[in-house]
Amino acid sequence: MVGDFSVGKTSLTQKFVNNVFSDKYLTTIGVKIDTVEVDDTKLIIWDVAGRDSLSPVNVSYLVGAAGVVLVADGTRPSTVENLFDIWSSVEKRIGDVPCVVALNKADLSDGWSVSEETVNSLHDRGWEIFKTSAKQGDEVGTLFETLARKIND
Amino acid sequence: MSENTGKNLNNNDSLKRINEELFRKLQLAYFSVDSKMKVCDASKNLVNYGFPELKKGQSVEDKIDFMIGMDADTELELPVVSSPSGIPVSVNLMPSNDKLTVLISNAERSTEQHRMLQQAANENELLAEKQKKLMARLEQASKELEDKNQQLEEAARLQTSFISGVSHEFRTPLTSIIGYTNLVQQDLSKMSEEIAPRIVKQDNEQYLNAVQRSSKHLLSLVENLLDHGKLDSEEIVVNPKKTNLDELFNDVSLLLSPLSETKNIELNVNLDAPKGVDVVIDDSRLRQCLINLVGNAIKFTDIGSVNLDAKLDGDELNVVVRDSGIGIGREEMEKIRLPFYQVADTGKVGTGLGLTITERIVSLMGGSLSIESQLGEGTSVHLTMPAPKIEREIFSAEMGALPTVSKLKVLVAEDDSFIADLVVVMLQEKGIDVTCVANGALAVEMLQTKSFDLVLMDIHMPIMGGYQAIEKLNQLGNSAPIVVMSASATESDQERAAQLGCAAYLVKPVDVEEIISIAHTVTSPQQ
Ligand SMILES: Nc1nc2c(ncn2[C@@H]2O[C@H](COP(=O)(O)OP(=O)(O)OP(=O)(O)O)[C@@H](O)[C@H]2O)c(=O)[nH]1
Ligand SMILES: [Mg+2]
Repeated sequence: MVGDFSVGKTSLTQKFVNNVFSDKYLTTIGVKIDTVEVDDTKLIIWDVAGRDSLSPVNVSYLVGAAGVVLVADGTRPSTVENLFDIWSSVEKRIGDVPCVVALNKADLSDGWSVSEETVNSLHDRGWEIFKTSAKQGDEVGTLFETLARKIND
Repeated sequence: MSENTGKNLNNNDSLKRINEELFRKLQLAYFSVDSKMKVCDASKNLVNYGFPELKKGQSVEDKIDFMIGMDADTELELPVVSSPSGIPVSVNLMPSNDKLTVLISNAERSTEQHRMLQQAANENELLAEKQKKLMARLEQASKELEDKNQQLEEAARLQTSFISGVSHEFRTPLTSIIGYTNLVQQDLSKMSEEIAPRIVKQDNEQYLNAVQRSSKHLLSLVENLLDHGKLDSEEIVVNPKKTNLDELFNDVSLLLSPLSETKNIELNVNLDAPKGVDVVIDDSRLRQCLINLVGNAIKFTDIGSVNLDAKLDGDELNVVVRDSGIGIGREEMEKIRLPFYQVADTGKVGTGLGLTITERIVSLMGGSLSIESQLGEGTSVHLTMPAPKIEREIFSAEMGALPTVSKLKVLVAEDDSFIADLVVVMLQEKGIDVTCVANGALAVEMLQTKSFDLVLMDIHMPIMGGYQAIEKLNQLGNSAPIVVMSASATESDQERAAQLGCAAYLVKPVDVEEIISIAHTVTSPQQ
């Protein structure tokens, strides 16, 4: 799980693994590892600390990863734009692994500010995009299941 | 240190125990795997971090999640990994001699500090982002408000200019109605009894008077609308001049009594002022105010009377307009001063402008206005304004003003044929020799071939407008005094005329007496 800070990486993981959600924000330090079965595949989810203006994503945490979930916050356009930079550092370290994109916080329709243009440029990378809500659960299952399928293919 | 430890561990059992003690104290744990990722060796304290106990030969990937996907030759440092126990640990993968040694140490203390800093920094940045977003929204909102405001202002401006425009259009035909009825009235009064039987003459005179008064009333309503257009632009001009109050109040009474008669209410006009005294006041503005106030009073009174009582107290004119009408409730009182406001449910129609304008004009004249009213009992409006007294001169006719003007040659430049004809007829009535042209160019031409004592110049004319013609005449050394007649009463227009050396500026509808009196003054030095 990679992306900017506070986009909902931990929330998506916890929703999927433990079916819980909290409104309180507790930033992740380093990495938290969780395990879950998807169909017959065992997914080890590495929930990595978010990128912030001072520290880039520590790609050491990605070594050995079979796939990546790029997470952005649909109410913060900059977090979507930053996905391109984040992906290039990921790719540099571990190569072109399967990847899905979560535009998270889809329940906040009022503040939603992802332009058509941005969505198109994400599509152009060949990424599958999911408008997820860790709060309400929308698309969370599909997100992980799609990645698991891509890894198995 | 860890490499040393690794060597010693293989060599000596006692050293191994010392090392294990050290590991325990430093809370260091470790395991090593071979190239096939099978466990070779492992410290017992792995369980302290929630990891399972590792036995030689076991596949590490089945036991320790973070080892899934790793190779035996991966060299890696993972500064903070939350262990199954929840304690954050630091993990080091160190490959050597076909083996991978993994060291795990407690990172709790450094992580705690890091967490506090990162939490604060991230929350700060989120706040800053939110603030930026709010600012943008605020800016957007204030821009939208500004746009709306501009639209409203534009709408108000359009409304004002529409009203002014329409009123202007009304003024010209009204002027000619008033002028022509005036002429017919004069003709009628000269008619001998042989030509028209007395009774017919009286009837006709009465009808004409009615037409005359209604037209004047209509004109005063138009003036109100025009003034409303000027309310915002500070364009209302007050021109105090010597005024005969007796005549003025008489006029008002004559003008409004038809209105009260149709409603079957009594109109009493009463002026208490010393005889033979004039005051300096803008008579047409005062007339407008009185017509507005008395007109309103009549409008809202169905039974009883309307009284207009005026008293000249020293240099101050006090006026009370009292009616026995429907009165004004306390709530309405606040609103009645708003433009276009009409008291609800009264079924009375009007422009709703009278009071707004009256109040404004009164204050421009240096006076004040107050209203007292009780619902169902009637209303009285008190008006006070300065009216400095001066001695009345014994005027004109005997002093030979008419004989003087009757010899005059006057050139009239006016494109509106109704107004032109009217002015020509009115001046001819006074025995003046009048020539009329339809634009400025013709006026210039005429003045070069013939001499005139006075020029009456309209401003807005086709081919060549008034100002242009005056400029031209000035260049040509014209000596005839020029009097401007214009529908525009703005100060800037009057200033322009003065700058061009015009002798006087008359605002339409012009009164023939006014023209005569000006003709008299501007031509007298030459006699
Ligand atoms: N409304 C809404 N809020 C969400 C959603 N997902 C996460 N949040 C909130 O967003 C904040 C950040 O969520 P996290 O899951 O901690 O974000 P993160 O990406 O793990 O952040 P870091 O660990 O700091 O990189 C929390 O307050 C969550 O409650 C969502 O789908 N909808
Ligand atoms: Mg997190």
